[in-house]
Amino acid sequence: MQQTNHITDNPLKWLGYATDNILPNGGFGAVLARAGVGKTSLLVQIALNSMLRNQAVLHISLDDPVKKINLWYKEIFQLLTKDFRMDQERQLWETILPFRFILTMKVDGFSMLRLEERVRDLVEQDIFSPRMIIIDGLPFDGSAKDTLLELKPFINHLGAHAWLTVKTHRHEEPGPDGFPIQVSDIKDLFDTIIELHPEGESIYIRNLKGGSGPTNTERLILDPSTMLIQKKQG
Amino acid sequence: MKNEILTLRNIGISAHIDSGKTTLTERILFYTQRIHAIHDVKGKDGVGATMDSMELEKERGITIASAATFCEWKNHEINIIDTPGHVDFTIEVERSLRVLDGAVLVLCSVGGVQSQSITVDQQMKRYKVPCIAFINKCDRNGANPFRVIEQLRDKLGHNPVALQIPIGLEAKLEGVADLITMKAIYFDGDNGEILRIEEIPDHLLPQAKEKREEMIDKASLFSDELTEAILEEKEISPGLLLNALRNGCLLRALTPVLMGSAYKNKGVQPLLDAVNNLLPCPADVKNEALDMDNSETPVILCADPTKPIVALAFKLEDGQYGQLTYIRVYQGKLTKGSTVVNIRTGKKIKIGRLVRMHASQMEDIETISAGYIGAIFGVDCASGDTFVSPEINYSMTSMHVPEPVISLAIIPEDNKSQINMSKALNRFTKEDPTFRSYVNDETGDTIIEGMGELHLEVYVERMHREYNAKVTTGQPRVAYRETITKMAEFNYTHKKQTGGSGQYGRIAGYIEPCFEEEFIFENKITGASIPTQYIPACEKGFRLCMAKGPKLEYPITGVKITITDGASHSVDSSDMAFQAAARGAFLEGYNKANPVIHEPIMKVAVETPTEFQGSVMGSLNQRRGIIEGSQEDGPMSVIEAQVPLSEMFGYSTVIRSLTQGKAQFTMEFSTYRQVPKQIAEELIKQKSQAGEKGKQTKK
Repeated sequence: MQQTNHITDNPLKWLGYATDNILPNGGFGAVLARAGVGKTSLLVQIALNSMLRNQAVLHISLDDPVKKINLWYKEIFQLLTKDFRMDQERQLWETILPFRFILTMKVDGFSMLRLEERVRDLVEQDIFSPRMIIIDGLPFDGSAKDTLLELKPFINHLGAHAWLTVKTHRHEEPGPDGFPIQVSDIKDLFDTIIELHPEGESIYIRNLKGGSGPTNTERLILDPSTMLIQKKQG
Repeated sequence: MKNEILTLRNIGISAHIDSGKTTLTERILFYTQRIHAIHDVKGKDGVGATMDSMELEKERGITIASAATFCEWKNHEINIIDTPGHVDFTIEVERSLRVLDGAVLVLCSVGGVQSQSITVDQQMKRYKVPCIAFINKCDRNGANPFRVIEQLRDKLGHNPVALQIPIGLEAKLEGVADLITMKAIYFDGDNGEILRIEEIPDHLLPQAKEKREEMIDKASLFSDELTEAILEEKEISPGLLLNALRNGCLLRALTPVLMGSAYKNKGVQPLLDAVNNLLPCPADVKNEALDMDNSETPVILCADPTKPIVALAFKLEDGQYGQLTYIRVYQGKLTKGSTVVNIRTGKKIKIGRLVRMHASQMEDIETISAGYIGAIFGVDCASGDTFVSPEINYSMTSMHVPEPVISLAIIPEDNKSQINMSKALNRFTKEDPTFRSYVNDETGDTIIEGMGELHLEVYVERMHREYNAKVTTGQPRVAYRETITKMAEFNYTHKKQTGGSGQYGRIAGYIEPCFEEEFIFENKITGASIPTQYIPACEKGFRLCMAKGPKLEYPITGVKITITDGASHSVDSSDMAFQAAARGAFLEGYNKANPVIHEPIMKVAVETPTEFQGSVMGSLNQRRGIIEGSQEDGPMSVIEAQVPLSEMFGYSTVIRSLTQGKAQFTMEFSTYRQVPKQIAEELIKQKSQAGEKGKQTKK
């Protein structure tokens, strides 16, 4: 389908990344922002981009029910395909749907053991083999480092990479290295760290680690009306 | 009827099939003096429990259709809607849950929280119905109410709080100790009707004190006054405690638990007190209607008898005096002689006779006020219809009724059954808009259509039980559809000259997929190449083709026909000739437009203990299901998937064996989707084989 070309390119590549996957196998990426700024929206776009390239995405949410996550995907997909004919849009959605699996757990019910058990169920029965894993809502408190250290070899074994959302807070001072306090001690575990920063009426997408680093000249924003990733004009 | 909304309770009694809810209802009616003798559920005495008015229910000891009845207890009026415990009777369950404000969840003290209790609880959760729990059968061997309370917490995720402890258990069950008043209650007399209140026996006092502390602790989260009283070490009055417990219960954040044995006449009266004290009155509940003049925008209804009437018909019954329609009035006051409009049909109705039902007996009343449940007589309507005052246009239900996705041929065994079957179908189609019936012109078979295999099975069973219509059924058939995927042109000439007047008509144009409507016809002919008087015949010809597709003879949907040119003959052209030309043109274009078969896809939600999640997902995957996600909530998981209906036949048996009967599933129509090529070929092959077989039989 010709019209899909413009949506199969990962817009984050503009931040100086070589491949559409952005992350290597076993790699971690973090999207940092305050509550409500657009972390999930950004990751859903990256996920849709993967699904359009036939790469399976496992979306784990520790906050929202399946229905709500599904709605995020549908809305963003509709925005991405707004120029498509209705039948094309429907057909494409049905084609990519098998490349997504949503798993929701309660934060206090989440453990690596549980996650491994679930994912094994899916892989061993040939139901779903994720290439990209999104973990949305994991609390970045003292226990996050242990979880990430356990997650790393598991993801590597699956041949997948993982994106995590990290909630920051307005009142918190950054760590001594200038990174937000939530990732300051564990930044080495991440290949890429992206921050969403509201400035005036725009939400800027900044590279804190990875790609061409914080000095990249391209300026990406999340369009506040659609929450789609766009290049900043002018 | 008193019309005092604060002392009115509309409650449901929901439970697993064998937990004794019908016995409990029977006892409630006895203690509230609505009946004067107690009958067993299974009808040993040939009378049967009062609420099970349907024959099938009496025989099996189960409740299928929800009868509504009312009683009075300590100055409160209680309407009891007896809800079915099966998940399969969706329309029935949904309607009855909709009209009740609170519920009593009955659990068996031996069996505990069973899979159907989980289903029933999920339904209550979905409709945000506050509930109290009654742990029944404490007289049985192996009874352990505290284990059931733990299960309420672990399996259902409730925040249960015991308001009583049992005095003795199993065969030694004597009564209950009330933790609010700290008194022992014994049930004397032949039928437990005399309450003897005494001090709690000494050996139970430490346990009672401990459980009371637990209860106060939990209740204090819902009342600042109670918290203050605790901090200031003041005496905690029963009123203060009940108020806090009620607050928690209404928020569904607390589940007060009572216990006893309905069969042994123990613990029912305190349960009735709890219904009065803890469950909501209609004014505590927010009810919404849809404003049909404002694109179905939700409007909040006010339980005020002075406002315009809004009432919902939630159940029909074919009684000896004609159709009886159960209704709940949500706003305004329905009075004998008043005029209301049925929103679905637009017809004005004058209310003749208003009654209040008590299972199959009734009493005449003058009015039904907001919040109340009653029944009207002799009004021709369907279940789910909304009645309103002429000045408003509100509907309690969306006008959208899903199309049936499965059909089944039914053949009556004899003439008498034929007549009874017609009566039954007439009733059922009125009761349930998703259930339909028609006669197949070709085979002469009566076909019933509905939303799932079980949905149809229930009606076939009811036909037999209630109407004595013995029918045999054919194989269930999935309602496939045919459609096209690309634009194609046609230019067809219909020409026939076989003596007598000839036939001539030529139609040219194109056929294309259309997503907005089932069928669109557009005339773009200029210069009258087809005379205007023949255009309707062309449209009719095309439209008739939509009924049966050339591939599998299933209906065609989503087609737009545009005619651009044609030709006629001054003598030989006629309506008939152009209809025939349209048929030819349709077939020509259709075959070039890449036709495909679509199948109904069901949204399936399986609720299973987490340990079976893997096998359930495997079973859905094997059925060509796309698993959308899995939601873990405590010990239970809900797996959501989209599965073709054709793959779901017999799934209830499969899931039972996969999960030791611990999982439940619900299924509803989601969309139509193209059948994979391989399966489409298989369907065409089956169709042609069936055709061959048919021909041979005719020979």
